[in-house]
Amino acid sequence: MTMCLAQSNAWAGIDVTRHLFLFSPILALILTMLAIVACPIIVGRSAKTIGAVAVMGIIASFILALRVAGEVSEGGVSGLSTLPAAGLLLVDNLSIAFQIILLAFMGGVTYLWWMGSSDSEENAPEFFILLFGSAVGMALMVSTSNLLMIALAIETASLPSYAMVGFDKRDRRGAEAALKYLIFGAISAAIMLYGISLLYGMSGSLSVSVVAKHCIEALATGHDLVITMVGLMCLLAGIAFKVSAFPFHFWCPDAFEGAKVEVTTWLSVASKSAALILLARLVMVFCASISAPEAIGILSPLAWGIGIMAVMTCTLGNFAAYKQTSVKRLLAYSSIAHAGYMLMAVAVFVHPNSEHSQDGISALLTYIAIYMFMNLGAFGVVSMVVWDTGSDKLSSFTGLLRRAPLLAIPMVVCLMSLVGLPPFAGFIGKWWILVALGQLNNTLGWFLIIAAVFNTLISLYYYMRIVVHMTLRDDGQPALSFPLGGVALVNLCAIVLLAMFGLAQPMKTTSEQFTRNIFDTTTVAKTAVVDAATIQPIESVQR
Amino acid sequence: MWLALVVTGGIDPLNRIDIAMNTLTIIVFLPAMGALLCLIAPKPMIRSIAVLTSLVTFLFSLTLFSIYFGSDAGTSADVFGSTYGALHHVIRLPWITTDSINIEFFLGIDGLGFPLIILTTLVSFLSCWASWNMEKWKIGKGIRAYFILFLLLETGMLGVFVSLDFFLFYIFWELMLLPMYFLIGVWGGERREYAAIKFFLFTLAGSVLMLIALVAMFFYSGDAIAQAGGEVASAYQENVTLTHGTFDLIELATNETIQAYFSSPVTRFLSIKFAPLMFAFLFIGFAIKLPIVPFHTWLPDAHVQAPTPISMILAGVLLKMGGYGFLRLCYPIFPTGAEFWAFTLAVIGVVSIIYGALCAMAQSDFKKLVAYSSISHMGFVLLGIAVMTKAGFQGAMFQMIAHGISSPMCFFLVGVIYDRAHHREINRFGGLWMTMPKYGTMATIGFFASLGLPGMCGFIGEIWVLLGTFDAGSKYPWAYTLAIIAAFSVILTAGYILWLIRRVYLGKEKEEYAGFSDVSGREIMILAPMALLALVLGIFPMQTVFDFTNGTLDLVLAHVTNAISMIP
Repeated sequence: MTMCLAQSNAWAGIDVTRHLFLFSPILALILTMLAIVACPIIVGRSAKTIGAVAVMGIIASFILALRVAGEVSEGGVSGLSTLPAAGLLLVDNLSIAFQIILLAFMGGVTYLWWMGSSDSEENAPEFFILLFGSAVGMALMVSTSNLLMIALAIETASLPSYAMVGFDKRDRRGAEAALKYLIFGAISAAIMLYGISLLYGMSGSLSVSVVAKHCIEALATGHDLVITMVGLMCLLAGIAFKVSAFPFHFWCPDAFEGAKVEVTTWLSVASKSAALILLARLVMVFCASISAPEAIGILSPLAWGIGIMAVMTCTLGNFAAYKQTSVKRLLAYSSIAHAGYMLMAVAVFVHPNSEHSQDGISALLTYIAIYMFMNLGAFGVVSMVVWDTGSDKLSSFTGLLRRAPLLAIPMVVCLMSLVGLPPFAGFIGKWWILVALGQLNNTLGWFLIIAAVFNTLISLYYYMRIVVHMTLRDDGQPALSFPLGGVALVNLCAIVLLAMFGLAQPMKTTSEQFTRNIFDTTTVAKTAVVDAATIQPIESVQR
Repeated sequence: MWLALVVTGGIDPLNRIDIAMNTLTIIVFLPAMGALLCLIAPKPMIRSIAVLTSLVTFLFSLTLFSIYFGSDAGTSADVFGSTYGALHHVIRLPWITTDSINIEFFLGIDGLGFPLIILTTLVSFLSCWASWNMEKWKIGKGIRAYFILFLLLETGMLGVFVSLDFFLFYIFWELMLLPMYFLIGVWGGERREYAAIKFFLFTLAGSVLMLIALVAMFFYSGDAIAQAGGEVASAYQENVTLTHGTFDLIELATNETIQAYFSSPVTRFLSIKFAPLMFAFLFIGFAIKLPIVPFHTWLPDAHVQAPTPISMILAGVLLKMGGYGFLRLCYPIFPTGAEFWAFTLAVIGVVSIIYGALCAMAQSDFKKLVAYSSISHMGFVLLGIAVMTKAGFQGAMFQMIAHGISSPMCFFLVGVIYDRAHHREINRFGGLWMTMPKYGTMATIGFFASLGLPGMCGFIGEIWVLLGTFDAGSKYPWAYTLAIIAAFSVILTAGYILWLIRRVYLGKEKEEYAGFSDVSGREIMILAPMALLALVLGIFPMQTVFDFTNGTLDLVLAHVTNAISMIP
């Protein structure tokens, strides 16, 4: 190993300690995972113990992420390399911002699990190994611009997710959902790998920036156009599966309905937003590979492709949610619709030199942060209703305002925030996306704006169905019993959603800070890359 | 305070709070403060707190009259000067500011907002008081939630009439939706669920169109400024240069660069002419609220299902937001769009007048009849505005105020009898004047005001609109025909109101209703101010309304006609 390092000049001049520090949030997750593996041998399988270890790991990782973020926002590390040698991993403002959101959300999900399952769960170590495994995958997904690493990260995120969906092996619906999820996942992974192989074959590199250059050349000259586009679309399909974008969304409602509520909550936000950030990063690399700002138009087929996919996803999610009677399934479709809104922000293709280069990406980041609270709150209420009544049917929500006002009111806030109604944060999330699209000031932008606002209108009705059941109807079901900690969580979410509306300004400033330097190509030297070392062996093998 | 610091953008919190203690801010947020108080107050005190809050808000809003009696005393033409956009009690604080976006907390008042603010606080107070003895309180449920939502609704309504930043306007506009939904949905009648969601969906449909216009207007004004070299002096603020788009409604209307770009036929939105399209988006948003045929179907449902006080608010204030929106946004900002659509709008207005009156005539439900009469009356507002003449604008404004007084009164009158009889079938009533003489007198005043009897408030608005429409004949040949058709609607109105009065109040006393108590002291106290105003407005239209509004209205009209005359 040492010899290997000494021989490879790619490692020369790289400060390994510093790099370990930059990746420390991910490393902390991996170490916690190992600790959880070891726990049953050393201290036993008690769910509370395992939960405590997991919480400590999350907190440690979170603190590390904040420290790294402190460094990053000072401008110490930044930049997205457009050099051919772009590495397997990179840490920049965006990836660290997402890791912070991810870890905060993971804390919320663990808390929810603690409330609901820590007394009865027999397989806590396995659950947390899977949870941490998928979190590592998602954190890696946003920290790379290398095709091989993308494929690996997506698989690392997906495989534990399949198992988590079917975690309760006595539950037939969960097993069925897991199988469906697995089949879709396996096929889309295969398609994506095929696409990657095509792109690699055409460009001779796994670095997205090289591939992007090649694609742009193909678009401009028509040379190798078909095969490049096929490769690109296959890659997009793999990512779209994780986003659950149309037409790769079929797994989503089944998996969400069959899985335990904690797992559904986790998947609805974390896996989708990780894939969205990844997609946004690919888009950024493509835009950054364009030499002149005027030439950005050459990418408009891609922008339109993502834009139309966004509109279809959004519209389909909203219409399909209409007839649902299971609230979990309804929220699954709602999460498809929200993936559509967020995809719209990804469709903002602008040149890095343009004045508005970071509008789309900072809007996406803001939206994810808000979306996390909306879904945590809504699923938190659903899970408490499920724990008490054993059903997530709409009818078990009837009269919730009387049966548990402290659940019904935050639920209304979360749902109205999901609709995007002021004065809740969901409106601010949508607003920044609309602004980013408006900045484009072209047909695509206005088309997406119109689609987005009309989808808001469509979505109102099915969210209101839950509200109607909770507040306007009452069939005399008995009052709900619920853990106080859970009530605190959902009410906190509701308050945060109200506060975030008032704090629209600082939120925007923060997310702009976290997206400021990602287009910056001048600071490549500072970019944290574990350099091309791992790529070269592959090529040398070929030779 | 810390929150205020963050919200207002950071610098110098104490100073900012000093600035924020502006009359308008206090008026707008007093009800919200009352709502907070209701949240923590013990149950028996809630009603008193809510009614007191709305009373204090009303009394405080009366201090706004001082602008007419200060150093530049007189009518609104003197008070607000000779340019559109002269405002009083202005407050502007940065709210959301980024490199390219500047959303402000910008409130101000002129002759458009002033009468509607007074109307809102008055009607809110009266209907809050009217909620005192709702049947549902007897089982003691929901009293806290009801008054909290009610006061939040009042904040939303007041905010709409004073915000001059489009984004802020939109926020206040949407702020009303949820409280109104629950007020209809939880405390309403039999089909409340349906009525509430219908109200919500219709209004949100209008709002999303407005949202498109909001984003488009911002970026197109930015384009206009960019084309003019990136720096344009503000039209009405000294030492202010615009470098990006703006949400400032006054700036959008009066800045020549922006106006020229907006009205240019070359400016396209998705290859459709910008001004007519944006005008239509905004118009539909407001027309749903007004409401105008064919967007009116939510209104009879919502009004009938809502509890009496909420019907009063709906008819008295919410409908006026549509008309206010026309005068504040559509016409000043898109005058060329107004010219483009003038004929269509006038026809829709006349159709609303006739259709509403005919529908009202066919109703056997007392409340539904009043609801349809609102559609008919609001048709006059649209007609008056659409023809773009002095008398038309003034009449439309007067009609809004007059209807804001007469229709809550009518709804309350219906509520009074519904509380006692527990049904609203017009044909089952009869001879109520004999049973309840005070009630009968009040009812006659209310319904005659609604009918438009000369000497009552309804008459002035209608006749002004008709005069304005005839007046427009010189520029629009079709206006004569429409004026004549609209004039005939007076017969229809008289028809359904007189027929109603005959069936309900006249005739022989009926056995069923013999034991009914006459209106109580509280009910009289609620009806009396409205009855009084219905008369005073009819007798002294100049001194009560026109003096306060005409200056601003004439400026808006002058601005609009000037812009239209520039069309090549």
